[in-house]
Amino acid sequence: MAETHPPFRKNTAHQAQLSGPWLSLVLVALSLLMIAPFVWMALTSFKTLSESSDPEWMPGAFHWENYPEVFKIIPFLRFAANSLVIAGWVTILQVFTSALAAFSFARLEWPGRDRVFFLYLATMMLPGLVTLIPTFQLMVRMDMVDTYLGLVLPAAFGAFGTFLLRQFMLGIPRALDEAAEIDGASKWQIFWDVILPLSRPGLVTLAIFTFMGNFQSFFWPLVMMKTVDKFPLPVGLMFFDTERGQATHLLMAAVTMSVVPLIIIFVLLQKQLIRGIQLGGVKG
Amino acid sequence: MSGLGQRGSPRRRLVSGIAFLLPNILGFAAFTLVPLVMSFGIAFTDWDTLRHNIFRHETLRFVGFENFSWLFHHPDFLHYLGNTFFLMLGLPFAIAGSLGAALLLTRVSHRPVARRGAFIFATLFLTGSGLLLRMGGMSQVGVWFIFGVLAAVSLVAGVLTGGSVYRTLFYLPNFTAGVATFVLWKKLYNPSGPINAALAPVLDGFASVVRSAPDLFSWGVPLACGLIAAALTLWQLWRLRQHWDDATAGTVSVVTGLLMLAVPVGLQLHWFGLSAVTAVGGPLGVVLIGAVLILKRPRRWGPVCARDAGLSAEIALALGLVPLLSLLAVGVTWGSRLPALAAVGLPAPNWLGDYDWAKPAIMIMGLWAAIGSNNMILYLAGLSNIPPELYEAADMDGASPLQRFWHITWPQLAPVTFFIGVMGVIYGLQGGFEMARVMTKGGPAGSTTTLSYFIYIEGFETGRLGYASAAAWVLFALVFILSLLNFRFGNRSAND
Repeated sequence: MAETHPPFRKNTAHQAQLSGPWLSLVLVALSLLMIAPFVWMALTSFKTLSESSDPEWMPGAFHWENYPEVFKIIPFLRFAANSLVIAGWVTILQVFTSALAAFSFARLEWPGRDRVFFLYLATMMLPGLVTLIPTFQLMVRMDMVDTYLGLVLPAAFGAFGTFLLRQFMLGIPRALDEAAEIDGASKWQIFWDVILPLSRPGLVTLAIFTFMGNFQSFFWPLVMMKTVDKFPLPVGLMFFDTERGQATHLLMAAVTMSVVPLIIIFVLLQKQLIRGIQLGGVKG
Repeated sequence: MSGLGQRGSPRRRLVSGIAFLLPNILGFAAFTLVPLVMSFGIAFTDWDTLRHNIFRHETLRFVGFENFSWLFHHPDFLHYLGNTFFLMLGLPFAIAGSLGAALLLTRVSHRPVARRGAFIFATLFLTGSGLLLRMGGMSQVGVWFIFGVLAAVSLVAGVLTGGSVYRTLFYLPNFTAGVATFVLWKKLYNPSGPINAALAPVLDGFASVVRSAPDLFSWGVPLACGLIAAALTLWQLWRLRQHWDDATAGTVSVVTGLLMLAVPVGLQLHWFGLSAVTAVGGPLGVVLIGAVLILKRPRRWGPVCARDAGLSAEIALALGLVPLLSLLAVGVTWGSRLPALAAVGLPAPNWLGDYDWAKPAIMIMGLWAAIGSNNMILYLAGLSNIPPELYEAADMDGASPLQRFWHITWPQLAPVTFFIGVMGVIYGLQGGFEMARVMTKGGPAGSTTTLSYFIYIEGFETGRLGYASAAAWVLFALVFILSLLNFRFGNRSAND
């Protein structure tokens, strides 16, 4: 059959209106629209203060010295390091505890498991705003205001990671852990030696999500941190945007420096990210 | 099936199962469950950080539902609630954008890219920008040069990567969205910033068009918009009736479709000067009448479909219809004022500084960030899951591209659209804090203060914790209802 009939080709006559080079032109136009703000950002970061309010996009001359200037005004590297440390710890805690919980939900069978999982899922719908105020009061009582711990702990335990990793672990063949169990492996060994290595793509995905989300977090550090030296980057950026000083050129230099690493990370890791989105979204 | 862990007594299995959960559950209990219970308690007290803090211990007073009743008698709260919902009108545009982007992207990946054409365009762009540079010098035409080179580079990269570079570029704004990009947009929206600089010639041209035919705009535009809106509304009513008769839409779906129609009508009435309550109540009454009229009709085949049959399709359609009708309502309301404005030249809007423009400004920025978002990725997955046989069958029947989209792609994607829509509303209810804090401080005159920014202000600046917690629980109730809807109808519709 297959040889006698040529493979069915989609009727191109009906689709010809937007294909080939014209389609790529549309895509390029859209792409340029998407990155135009970034282009303006980068160009403005090389302007002088007086040029920065001009409608003209190009700087008269490229003032590279704006970048060192940023470091003189705010402790940019310190802010970035704070963000890295906070997001890093949240990620480690989140991935580890979620992996444990996901293993329990996906690979162990215990009475009441599915009901507990359902409760877990339900908490994903809980708006974070509801717990915000009491969590802050809790932090006040526990003396954790203005500490890194106070930023890390509330963000480190969530149901989303458990959910995502459970979806991933369900896809690992059962035969593997059964074989390990026959060989006399304990539950912990099955988790640590069999499931965890096989879940690596899922773990990486969750790690990226968690890290990026917390690297960008603004609300909680804004209310929690009082010492300037402990500010994470998003809060620190606000120093350039006060009512008094409008140093747009320096602000854009700082914004460029905080966005460009994100762009690089994204370009490098987008495959994992996209898989994670599909994993988490298919069964909401 | 004897799965893993079937061995051992149930008790032992329970212990080991819980043991693995423990770290997560403990942290969760401490930082979510306890605050949750506390929050519920606080909502019924008069906790004010001015009087109750670690230095002053006045006894907390239990005030019952006073906080809640105060909220709903407080015009500001209703205003902010309205803002939150108004900003969500951007959601359908974002969903449409995501779908459009996904459709474009699948076209690339499904058929061989016309490499030669792309290379020819790239060469054209490169030589064009090179010539520009030669003629004008870097400082005059630099931007065009940069964009020309960028276009050429992305065209070539598009050919080399089979189109995935476009997906990357589309997704970029979403990935970087955060304080940094909000600050960036605040500068873009400067009254003398690049957006207005780009708009000025467009507005001048438009103003001269309006001036050349003032009559056309004073009554033509509102009339045309009104007619189109009426036609769309009638079409939707007719379609609902049709679907009810065919038993492809159940009670819930029909009422949802009608309720969605009430949104733009209410907006329109509000803009005409009705108070918010009348503007919402009136259309709701009309919806009720419409529902009775449609639902009372006897079904040809008797009541054979579930109450929520076709719900995701209705919601998906409403998502497109509501913003379209709202836009038309804008035309009806403001079209007639255009000639008077154009007589003195149309000024570019003072985006974030203007009460009426601040919300659209934030919606436009949200659109930029949301087109290439997770929604686009979900749509890409949804598109690749549509069985190709459906399209093949349609092609044999000689379906036009529009028909293919309307009868195959759109209904097949309805569950995805439903999921995206509900999640979008859930996040939309909680959102807007960062934008408000970074870009507008909630202003001008509270125009961009959303529920989340209001809770922040009350909880951390004025310190009325009881009041803020009550507001948070109103939010919780809204999210809870939506989640129930999603849970109740989402999975079912996915199997339609």
